[in-house]
Amino acid sequence: MSRFIVMDPMDMVATNLKVSSKGEIAQVFSSENEKLCEIEVLEDIPFGNKIAIVDIKKGEKVIKYGGVIGESTKDIKAGELVHVHNVKSLVVDIPLAFKKEILKQMNIKHEIEV
Amino acid sequence: MKFKGYRRPDGTVGIRNKILIIAVDECCDGIARNIAKKFEDVVVLTNWYTCMLGGNEETLNQMIANGKNPNVAGALVISMGCGSIDPSQIADEIKKTGRSVDTLTSQEVGGTRKSIEIGIAKIQAMKEQIDKIEKEEFPISELVIGIKCGGTDTSSGIASNPSVGAAVDQLVDMGCTCIGGELFELQGCEESLIKRTDSEEIKNKINTLIENERIRWSVEGTDVETMSVGNSVGGVTTIEEKSFGALHKFGTKEIVDVLQINKDFIDVPSKPGFYLSEATMLCGGSGVNFSSFGAHMILWTTGAAGFNNAITPVIRISGNSDHINDDIDIDATGIMEGTEAISEVAERIVKKVQEVASGLETQVEGIGDSTLTLYQKDQRLEKLLNLNCVR
Repeated sequence: MSRFIVMDPMDMVATNLKVSSKGEIAQVFSSENEKLCEIEVLEDIPFGNKIAIVDIKKGEKVIKYGGVIGESTKDIKAGELVHVHNVKSLVVDIPLAFKKEILKQMNIKHEIEV
Repeated sequence: MKFKGYRRPDGTVGIRNKILIIAVDECCDGIARNIAKKFEDVVVLTNWYTCMLGGNEETLNQMIANGKNPNVAGALVISMGCGSIDPSQIADEIKKTGRSVDTLTSQEVGGTRKSIEIGIAKIQAMKEQIDKIEKEEFPISELVIGIKCGGTDTSSGIASNPSVGAAVDQLVDMGCTCIGGELFELQGCEESLIKRTDSEEIKNKINTLIENERIRWSVEGTDVETMSVGNSVGGVTTIEEKSFGALHKFGTKEIVDVLQINKDFIDVPSKPGFYLSEATMLCGGSGVNFSSFGAHMILWTTGAAGFNNAITPVIRISGNSDHINDDIDIDATGIMEGTEAISEVAERIVKKVQEVASGLETQVEGIGDSTLTLYQKDQRLEKLLNLNCVR
């Protein structure tokens, strides 16, 4: 069973504590282990990676741990993977060459929007 | 809570009885290692940069500070003899703490083979004295503990960092000194950090030193990596996300001060409590930084593999079940599975701190030591970027 954790009530993303495949139903829990919601997984989400639990518009601030972890670089639907291809840092962003290497190592095919 | 350690002449207490060979230039590294391999508990710290002094004062300061670390009982300072750093510049400072210190200059004694032979005899003589030091019982409040993360993945922010944070709060309550670092990895956390002090001076210090790190590591037009590819493969997307996750390991106690390390001075804690510091985010270098601040050991949270520092043992805590093996001292995967509470893992960490202080070896101590990296800030870059310490 898929198991995702939301670290703070303000968060727009949940972290995958297992490995999830496209089409599964994500079980989303709070950090106190209360079940919050279910979301259809729209693409494969590796262990430790984040799923959007709400729709996020391009240019919106993305919240995790109750704080701003970056800005979305394209529209993200609830259920999609949130990572370096669609979120950038507002402080010091990862150079493009390294983002490409990250996605290659993770075997993720997305185009990177910066 | 008490532990058994070694009393030093300067009033500090060591948890290990190491002899440090300080190779002041890279050319005498081979001599140092050939001496060290004849003994147990003899550790080599080599200045890899250069044999020059000008521009490398931060390295010189760290070589001195490591010689004064409580886990170091004595030091032998070696040079080739053709460089700018005279062994006495380091040895004289360490000697002030009452430790056994000796020097050796290869050029003066007739070359490499002679140096090794003489060095072995010098260490042998030192060791005979040091081996006589008997362990005594001390309160746990004597301990100075570095707090560091590395190989960060998502489990770090969920399991290992929060449990270390809870342990740090307990240790500070017991009177210990805990030192965090990695100011670059506190980007976006300034607001919650400055709430942890009433002093305007410390608030300013926190903001300035975090901003200095941001400037230092983000020079436009350079592709300098500030997060490892492995961090992001593990699920961390931005430095802000990494920072929020990392912040958990520093607990909730008052921030007493921010310890600085630079070409002019190295701060040491003035009283017990929780400190931030300029210990670098780079693991090997941070070990030597923490050791320079006088740390006895390091709590290191990870989602991956790791490092050990031969002077200050590293206790590894991990919540990633894919990487749990016999290198890991504290398995925090129960938090990820929902079978163990953060407070329960914190109890195990505090117990481990006491055991390691009393002499229990960490899982990789003595077999998997990393290089004692002497990381320093480049003075030319500091000048160009107009970065200054806080006085």
